[in-house]
Amino acid sequence: MRQLLAVELTRLRWRRAVLLLLAAAVVVPTLIAATLIWDTRPPSQDDLDAARASAAPEIAQCEKRPGRFGVEDRALCEEQVVGWYTNSQPLKLGQQRSETGLAVVAVLTLLVMLAGTTFAGHDWNSGSMSNQLLFESRRGRVWAAKALVVLVTSFVVSAVMSATYWLALWMVARSRDLKVPDGVLADCLEFALRGSVFGAAAALGAFAMTMLFRSTVATVGVLFGVVLAGSLIFAALGISERWFPHKNVSAIIKDGTRYYVEVPQHCFTDGPIEGSECDQLRELTLVDGSLYYGVLLLGVGTASVLTFRRRDVP
Amino acid sequence: MSDLVIETTGLRKEFRSRRGGLRVAVNDLDLAVPRGGVHGFLGPNGSGKTTTIRMLLGLARASKGSMELFGHPVPSALPQVIDRIGAVVESPKFSPNFSGHQNLTLLARSIGVPKARVDAAVETVGLTGRDRDRFKSYSLGMKQRLAIAATLLKDPELLILDEPTNGLDPAGIREIRDTIRDLGERGVTVLLSSHILAEVQQVCTSATIIGNGRMLASGPVDELLQGGPASMRVDVPDPTAAHRVLDGAGFVVTTPADGASLLVESDDPSRVTQVLGEAGIWLSALTPVRRDLESVFLELTEADTLGHTLGHEATGATR
Repeated sequence: MRQLLAVELTRLRWRRAVLLLLAAAVVVPTLIAATLIWDTRPPSQDDLDAARASAAPEIAQCEKRPGRFGVEDRALCEEQVVGWYTNSQPLKLGQQRSETGLAVVAVLTLLVMLAGTTFAGHDWNSGSMSNQLLFESRRGRVWAAKALVVLVTSFVVSAVMSATYWLALWMVARSRDLKVPDGVLADCLEFALRGSVFGAAAALGAFAMTMLFRSTVATVGVLFGVVLAGSLIFAALGISERWFPHKNVSAIIKDGTRYYVEVPQHCFTDGPIEGSECDQLRELTLVDGSLYYGVLLLGVGTASVLTFRRRDVP
Repeated sequence: MSDLVIETTGLRKEFRSRRGGLRVAVNDLDLAVPRGGVHGFLGPNGSGKTTTIRMLLGLARASKGSMELFGHPVPSALPQVIDRIGAVVESPKFSPNFSGHQNLTLLARSIGVPKARVDAAVETVGLTGRDRDRFKSYSLGMKQRLAIAATLLKDPELLILDEPTNGLDPAGIREIRDTIRDLGERGVTVLLSSHILAEVQQVCTSATIIGNGRMLASGPVDELLQGGPASMRVDVPDPTAAHRVLDGAGFVVTTPADGASLLVESDDPSRVTQVLGEAGIWLSALTPVRRDLESVFLELTEADTLGHTLGHEATGATR
């Protein structure tokens, strides 16, 4: 098995399409981080001088009536008004989790999924799968070796990149003398870990689907359809938000989320609203989301292994 | 220990079309390939040769019947024997963006074969110098050579080659033929599926001919060539008159396309000479015609096709 794993890892390393996708997994988060760092940079002295000049009348008004400008002490007027003029937002790690942090997880997940599907799809598309099976005829082992390589590579790339992302932002915040509350960095790294686990599982799912459909195009089509239309179809069918794909992703990555439910009419008509059935917002936990995608992954994986073991290989 | 390297019993493969139709690709095939030597596996296009090979190698599942390789049942015991088998099935299939060397290296590593064997295999098939080029840039002949190189990585006891000279130039065909013959002489059992019957006749010690998924004939090549009516080529100054005389004497006579001679079915040259001499027709040459594998193949497969067609018509009529 070790030999087979080494072979599959080499096959993955030598695939240019996979390398490009993994390179994009390095470049895109780096670009997002660079843009964020640039946008939250402290204003330069020139910027401050220019802002001070433009804001001079308002600073004067503030010093007359500080309360109208949201400050209690007239000494704070200049800082307050100049801050508005420079439009500078300081880097806040906690706030970025639900903003650029989500974007990084989404991009990394998409890229490792594409890497997983193109890795398997190439074997079918080129017909080289049959040649591989002439050397290792135990199909279950072949599937497992490929799957393990996709899973581990996806996790390592996602984890390294997202951890680097948060550590880089933390270091920048420290270098700017910004106060980072205790535990925020740990929360961000946990967020990165959950995102990486989800990304690796998604890559494994994409791989399993490609081994099932024997086509990258079919897999991408199905996944695109689910992402694009999944929630819309569920909504049209009147299915609870609890089962929406994106809600469950959110529950995993954010360690729980809330979803809206339509409550019975009597909650509004029968006096005071009491009892859990009248709560319009319900909790969807990390465990709920993990079970949702775990069952899906298990289903796709089982179907993929069984068909790969039984079907004729072209 | 069985002396048969390959043995199938009642092997059948059915394909279902999307419309629910059933096509039988291999029908109750009993194939027996003895240890050692080169065994030809012949049949027209669509006769089930490749499907049979794919079933033997575990790439396709049999609908019915049993198969054994080296006495082990397959596909269940295939992992135990696959390291002793080298195979080229249909067109060579490798990763197009990897070089030939990379493709071979990956296959070699998967079975723990040292890198030196890759270089040796590349050299054996004459790909040295081009092995670092991408597979997709190879000509069909080079792809075939690479596929044969892949089979040599295992140092196999059984080599299954499905149309191995497809796309090769005459020199390449000769090289591969020599390689196959050499392997056969070294004790490797070779199952050679090919359409080039002259090639098969030159290198094979035994052969199996199949048609419509069924076995039509099997045995040593010499025995296959012995069957059927003997014939001789008769050269005379007036073939038309000679044709009439021989017809009258009860011989089966045909005129080849060139029209300059006659083909007479008979194993008695003195009788032919006597009949023509009594009619005042003097022979300029009388040459025995030896059957070749091509004529045997055509006789068997054409008869089978006719039988198959008539069988279908009869079935249709009873319906």
